[in-house]
Amino acid sequence: MAVIERPHGGVATPQAPVSKEYMGWESWLTTVDHKKIGIIYMVAAFIFFLIGGIEALLMRMQLGTPNNTFLSPDVYNQMMTMHGTTMVFLVVMPFNVGLANYIVPLMIGARDMAFPRLNALSVWLFLFGGLMLYFSFMAGGAPAMGWFAYAPLTMKQFSPTFGVDYWIIGLLLTGVASIAGALNFVVTILNMRAPGMSINRMPLFVWMTLITAFLLVFAFPSLTAGQIALFFDRHFETRFFNPAQGGDAILWMHLFWFFGHPEVYILILPTMGIISEVLSTFSRKPIFGYAFVAYSGVSIGFLGFLVWSHHMFAVGLGPLANAFFAAASMLIAIPTGVKIFNWIATMYLGTIDLKTPMYYGIAFVAMFIIGGISGITLASPPVNLQQTDSYYVVAHFHYVLFGGAIFGIFAGLYYWFPKFTGRMYNELLGKIQFWLTFISFNVTFFPMHITGTNGMPRRIYTYEAGMGWDLYNLISTIGSFAMAVGVLVLVWNAITSVRNGAIAPNDPWDGASLEWAVPSPPPAHNFDKTPIVYSRRPLWDIKYPDLDAAHEIGTRAISRRERMEQEMAKMGEQLGEDHIHLPSQTYNPLIVAFGLLVAGFGAIYIATPFAFIASLIGLFIMGVGIVGWVRDSHKDSPYLVSH
Amino acid sequence: MRIPRHLAKLLKAGLLAAAMLSLAACASAVGLDGPASTLNSAGDQARRIEELMAPIFWMGLVVFIIVEGFLVYTVIRFRKRANSGIPAQVHGNTRIEIAWTIAPALIAVVVSVLTFRVQAANAVLPADSLYITAVGHQWWFEFQYPEQGADGQPLLTASDMYIPVGKSVIITLKGADVVHNFWVPKLAGKTYMIPGKVNYMSFTAEQPGVYLAACSEFCGEAHALMRFRVIALPADEFAKWLSQAKVPPVAAAGAGVLNGDPTRGQALFADPKKQCASCHAVDGTAAKGIVGPNLTYFGSRLTLAGGILPNTPENLSRWLHNPGAMKPGNLMGKVITPTWVQGNLTEQDIADIVAYLESMKISVDLPVASK
Repeated sequence: MAVIERPHGGVATPQAPVSKEYMGWESWLTTVDHKKIGIIYMVAAFIFFLIGGIEALLMRMQLGTPNNTFLSPDVYNQMMTMHGTTMVFLVVMPFNVGLANYIVPLMIGARDMAFPRLNALSVWLFLFGGLMLYFSFMAGGAPAMGWFAYAPLTMKQFSPTFGVDYWIIGLLLTGVASIAGALNFVVTILNMRAPGMSINRMPLFVWMTLITAFLLVFAFPSLTAGQIALFFDRHFETRFFNPAQGGDAILWMHLFWFFGHPEVYILILPTMGIISEVLSTFSRKPIFGYAFVAYSGVSIGFLGFLVWSHHMFAVGLGPLANAFFAAASMLIAIPTGVKIFNWIATMYLGTIDLKTPMYYGIAFVAMFIIGGISGITLASPPVNLQQTDSYYVVAHFHYVLFGGAIFGIFAGLYYWFPKFTGRMYNELLGKIQFWLTFISFNVTFFPMHITGTNGMPRRIYTYEAGMGWDLYNLISTIGSFAMAVGVLVLVWNAITSVRNGAIAPNDPWDGASLEWAVPSPPPAHNFDKTPIVYSRRPLWDIKYPDLDAAHEIGTRAISRRERMEQEMAKMGEQLGEDHIHLPSQTYNPLIVAFGLLVAGFGAIYIATPFAFIASLIGLFIMGVGIVGWVRDSHKDSPYLVSH
Repeated sequence: MRIPRHLAKLLKAGLLAAAMLSLAACASAVGLDGPASTLNSAGDQARRIEELMAPIFWMGLVVFIIVEGFLVYTVIRFRKRANSGIPAQVHGNTRIEIAWTIAPALIAVVVSVLTFRVQAANAVLPADSLYITAVGHQWWFEFQYPEQGADGQPLLTASDMYIPVGKSVIITLKGADVVHNFWVPKLAGKTYMIPGKVNYMSFTAEQPGVYLAACSEFCGEAHALMRFRVIALPADEFAKWLSQAKVPPVAAAGAGVLNGDPTRGQALFADPKKQCASCHAVDGTAAKGIVGPNLTYFGSRLTLAGGILPNTPENLSRWLHNPGAMKPGNLMGKVITPTWVQGNLTEQDIADIVAYLESMKISVDLPVASK
């Protein structure tokens, strides 16, 4: 590793006190390194993915045959609720956050996120929130009201166990993590880009992460407010959502879906960013229509806030309201269509290298087309009234969230696996896993279009024979188990490759963005020297300086080399030195998160005096963490000294 | 050349019919003509939706074939070969991109226009309609026919909703406890039943039949076991049903099913110690409970326990022995536990109650169960 010199010449910088260095497992608990935090996010999300998958398999077992009694209705409903909640809040969101955590600072040429300690707080809060939600299984039963938690089914009268309370408090913790994380991304991306990386030179993955972060900041508070009001309804006799006491059940639906629809884009936009990187790299071409792809992401983000009531066409808001939300929903077809065409055009005339990430990238596009088309019928209120709350919807959103989001995540996982681990994954196992997953995904979810059109409602734990649903449910069940085998192949591939895989070079895919400029895995400080960026593909500028003259729309035709020299001259003087400051490791974010966890447990059992004291203790622990945090923050990392 | 107006109309109708028929043909090929299929409509609302689904489906299929075809072609044609180098670096083409921005916009406009027309047609509540109030309970459907009972009182029933063919009905939808969803796939789309809000929907059954229906919004533990049937009778049969239903039933004399005594059963049913009448009512008797379904003319119900089992004396007897086992979580099962039954009802009591309930029948010719 390169030696980093702290220049003391010129302006003398006072030496900051250096904190203790933690090694081994402690280095993970105390880390503020965006890469380690990213890994924690991704590993935790992957474990939750396995758990959510097991829940899905149990449900598919139950639904394989009519009138089955494998699961009791209560257990089935818990599985259904936890599967949805897990996959949305504990799998796709944190996995995207983890990927972005690792990759975005590298892509923009930064040393870390803007707020490294806040970043650590986010990951611990997410993890504690998820564990808390799962603790409900041991505390009288998991929530069994669906991930959408419609009132008044969530009232104490209808859901007497603490499942709903664990759902509220657990998701509140992950919600705080998400909002803090989103603000962190906004500040990082807007302020910490390497010199020369203007907004319109950012990689598309960074673009989509930025849009997603804004969506999170605006959408999540709606859910958080709703959950707090719901908690008050359950424990303090308020009357927000209970119609029996003058509350409004529809208010909850609006609060939930005002969050819930943008949430769909929070799940899918980052993976659209991944796909944009993967398709471009493995076609050895720049993305076709960079501006169209970036701005269509922005317009999807805006429109995403205008369509929430298409989840509520059957609520009876009236034909005029439904027509407005239908028109707004149809509009989303435009930017989505643009993206799909641009992706295909990126591959067109390219040199398509069919590595595993590319398989998943292409499959993402192929499956997203199907999910998009089935979405058009759902955007039409009359058709929606036949299809909503039926298995057709289950098919539709799994094409978007599994065929889309999860395939995109798999693409990103294989794509950046060498960067994360320093090892190459096994290409053959990767392809086996792809074909297993791709085929069995379609075997599982395509028949659900048919059962739904044949009138099968969602969220039923059993059904009668002879409705035209039997065969297709059995096919779905078989497909789901084949998909599980695919996931096991992925786990096997990951474990064996981390141990014995070929050593990964810095740049195995001939990539164009800055993460490929650093070693695999990158050192803690990422870049020995802050890179200077001259185009959308900084690494290709270095590797192929004369390849691509005048590629930026609206610039006059000069060669890249010329341009580089000009800009280098301009910037050179401003960046005379490379003073590397890395934040010190600290337990304090973990302590703050732990305090909130204890306070949250206390809140759930708030009616008992012991729980009230527990809440106070939790808040005290949090206070200790915050004080330590403030006292620590001026310390420098020992990393600089010891290396 | 100008196409004459009537010819254009005919052409449009022909195209629409062709779209629908071909969709129906594809549908039945993959078994999409089940008893609750949305592509096998028997009511005006569902038919208009089906007519809207057909063009959207065919447009979607064309888009699917073109785009996926282009994708597959691209991947195969431009896959890396031994001598592949770095391809030409194309960054975009504004004209082409504008073109493929407009293409999905056009499709969206066409789908929107078709949608709004059907939406307008389906939103109409015709003036001369039969009014029925449907109330969703955990986990059964209650139906009230305002002013149709004895002395202008509402006529109450549950699980089977009788309607006339060819006459529009307006359903007033209410939720008693949590949010439910009223769905008769072959007649109309869904509408929520929300406590604290009143919804309306209207449809006309176009063919006589027994239509399977279910709650389609998750409403708690036994959501899957909350079903009902819509029985569409020809106008004269419906009038026959209504005229009988409004007259309170009389328990039959002599032995009934399962060797039970209906007269004794009636007395047991109304006996406060036997608990039936705490929740259930039978018109014209002392049983006036309002928590559970009104059981007047129970013998004519096609199903029991909220639409989950055929209404046979054996099933009813099984239900009375242990309702909680057959429909987990239901209210009756919390009171009528097996222990309670052992302490309070003899086998003969149960047989008598079954005989009583099954003896109350209305005679109408039912249409053949819908395929």
